[in-house]
Amino acid sequence: MFFGKLKKAHGKVIINPNWCKGCGYCVKYCPTDVLEMSKGYNAKGYHPPQVKAAADCRDCKFCELICPEFAIYVTSDKEEEQASASA
Amino acid sequence: MTRRTGVFVCHCGTNIAATVDVKKVAAELGQDEGVVFSNDYVYMCSDPGQQSVINAIKDHDLDSVVISCCSPTLHEKTFRDTSAAGGMNPFQCEIANIREQCAWVHKDKAKATPKAIKITRAAVKRVRRNESLTPIGVPVTRKVMVIGGGIAGIQSALDLANAGFEVVLVEKQATIGGHMIQLSETFPTLDCSQCILSPKMVEVSKNPRITLMTSSEVKSVSGFVGNFKVKVHSKAPFVDPEKCKLCDDCTPVCPVVVPNEYDLNLTGRRAIFIPYAQAIPASYTLDEEACLGLNPVVCGKCKEVCEAGAIDYDVKPKVTEYEIGAIVAATGFDLYDKGYLAEYGRGKYPDVLDGLQFERLCSASGPTGGQVLRPSDQKEPKNVVFIQCSGSRDPENHCAYCSKICCMYTAKHATLYQHKVHDGQAYVFYIDIRSGGKGYEEFVQRSMERDEVIYLRGRVSKVYPSKGKLKVMGVDTLSGKNVEIDADMVVLAQAMVPSKGTAEAAKTLKIGRDKDGFLAEAHPKLRPVESVTGGIFLAGAAQGPKDIPETVCQASAAVSKVIQLLSKPELEHSPTVAKVRDSHCTGCEMCVDACPFEAITLVNGKAHVNEVLCEGCGTCAGTCVRAAIDVKNVTQLQIHEMISACMGG
Repeated sequence: MFFGKLKKAHGKVIINPNWCKGCGYCVKYCPTDVLEMSKGYNAKGYHPPQVKAAADCRDCKFCELICPEFAIYVTSDKEEEQASASA
Repeated sequence: MTRRTGVFVCHCGTNIAATVDVKKVAAELGQDEGVVFSNDYVYMCSDPGQQSVINAIKDHDLDSVVISCCSPTLHEKTFRDTSAAGGMNPFQCEIANIREQCAWVHKDKAKATPKAIKITRAAVKRVRRNESLTPIGVPVTRKVMVIGGGIAGIQSALDLANAGFEVVLVEKQATIGGHMIQLSETFPTLDCSQCILSPKMVEVSKNPRITLMTSSEVKSVSGFVGNFKVKVHSKAPFVDPEKCKLCDDCTPVCPVVVPNEYDLNLTGRRAIFIPYAQAIPASYTLDEEACLGLNPVVCGKCKEVCEAGAIDYDVKPKVTEYEIGAIVAATGFDLYDKGYLAEYGRGKYPDVLDGLQFERLCSASGPTGGQVLRPSDQKEPKNVVFIQCSGSRDPENHCAYCSKICCMYTAKHATLYQHKVHDGQAYVFYIDIRSGGKGYEEFVQRSMERDEVIYLRGRVSKVYPSKGKLKVMGVDTLSGKNVEIDADMVVLAQAMVPSKGTAEAAKTLKIGRDKDGFLAEAHPKLRPVESVTGGIFLAGAAQGPKDIPETVCQASAAVSKVIQLLSKPELEHSPTVAKVRDSHCTGCEMCVDACPFEAITLVNGKAHVNEVLCEGCGTCAGTCVRAAIDVKNVTQLQIHEMISACMGG
């Protein structure tokens, strides 16, 4: 898209639906709006979140931090991670 | 009431005398009550003409004077000064406009002459009830605000500071420099734009008399010439420029990449960034919109790595209020919106660029380090087509005006391209070459002859992609043939339009704009750097398309006008202001709402006029249902008598 080697940081969101209690914090507080609540139910009868815009994840791990049930975490995507720091 | 009025009728060469029998006007008015002297002269504004007025005032002991001549906007001041020289109060002199309002709009002398008599007689009736007034003295604040930190604003600020004035320079972006800092080389000398501008930018930052307000905008202006109160809103400076050491530790950790507007979106930048190495103030900036959230829990990576402790997410935006004597508006230009240039594929095909993007490609500090490469595949383009007048000189579809600088910068672009890509070929489609300026024509000729740029006189109808190239369909009107070029890159010389905030700025400053949206000057020839509002001056491309030398000239010219204004110990305000008759005023506040200058307030239940703010427009007098307000020397009684004089006889 651009000249230069600048790459966005990228993370992969992993959700453990069965631990989720459907509080929606991760959906509400994600700064890049990666998540949404799913229509489906988990074993406990809650709507867990699902990823709607995987490419927008900037690996900030705020969802991981804010989740009261430890049901979501992010792994850094090494391939996509910024190759160079020459900004 | 016995007055001793003198009437002086001017021929204005044949301007008036051809349509109006001036001798008859003078003779007729001589018979009027209270007129003790009347005369005519070929050029009343000439030195002997003015002397005849002075002599008549002295010889006939006149206490009021009517000059029947051209518009008061031209010569009211002349003849009021003449009257004062004759020992009379200058506000006992009135102008009857028998040129613009009579001679120039009529052909029939037999009908125009009685009309001129009536106009003059009305002025005689008016002047009979004129009060002797003295101008109102107004103190002056010796501080100037410059709005816009491009070359026009920088030049204005430096000139003012060097003349000893305190200056506040307000810039919307994070750094000063404007469009000029984005340019690679400047025509016609091909010297590096950054090299000539950055010393001036450094000077601005070092000058103790200049207060630099970046990331700031003027939100409100109240007051009047010499005494403005200006509120400036500044975005929160999350990075402290005093502490920032420019170490660049923060950008590698920032997870966000957004298009870099300083490279016209040809490169990306982080949410925390420095626009370019020469930025003033020399500091990184945090783009609040791109940032994941100003919360150390969410991301906070830049704050973590900043060893200098320059980053603070809790800083709040602030509002600063300044007392200012004069304002220079230098709000600059933008390029014509690419959305309107769909026929050339602008915004659709990545290899159709605008002039500023091509500047960045040529610039040593640009995205490619000065190499000309295509954005789509980053290869060197071998055929480049430049299309002039993209959006200019097209009254049906785009802007009607000529953007003035495109002929020159296209010649420069084509020359630079030929210098950089030796086996390449540049083509220029043009309507006319407009290269008025010192060394300009020679520069264009050189690009054709020495650098072998092919100039084609004609327009381009369409640009579309075909087999990895851009097919440019045009016409060469000199040979009368259609031309098709398989181009690797197309550069549009897009029209210059007023910068995005210009409309809002004009509204805030209460100054006018012309039909194209540029800031309007008070007079196109004689007052090109003044706005119609006193104390507000114009500089640079905000007033109309212009190149760098012209902008610098205009900036310095505006500064000389500011200095003229602020070097007086106190300003004079016209005393023909509104006056309230307290006995008639009921305090209904209709005048308060009607006044366009916010000069009227209610004091103890009665309207009160701030004489310094009042411009004497008379809107309040027209609004007042109880006739409690009159404008001095244009009272309702005077207006009534003037109308009677026109209707009668």
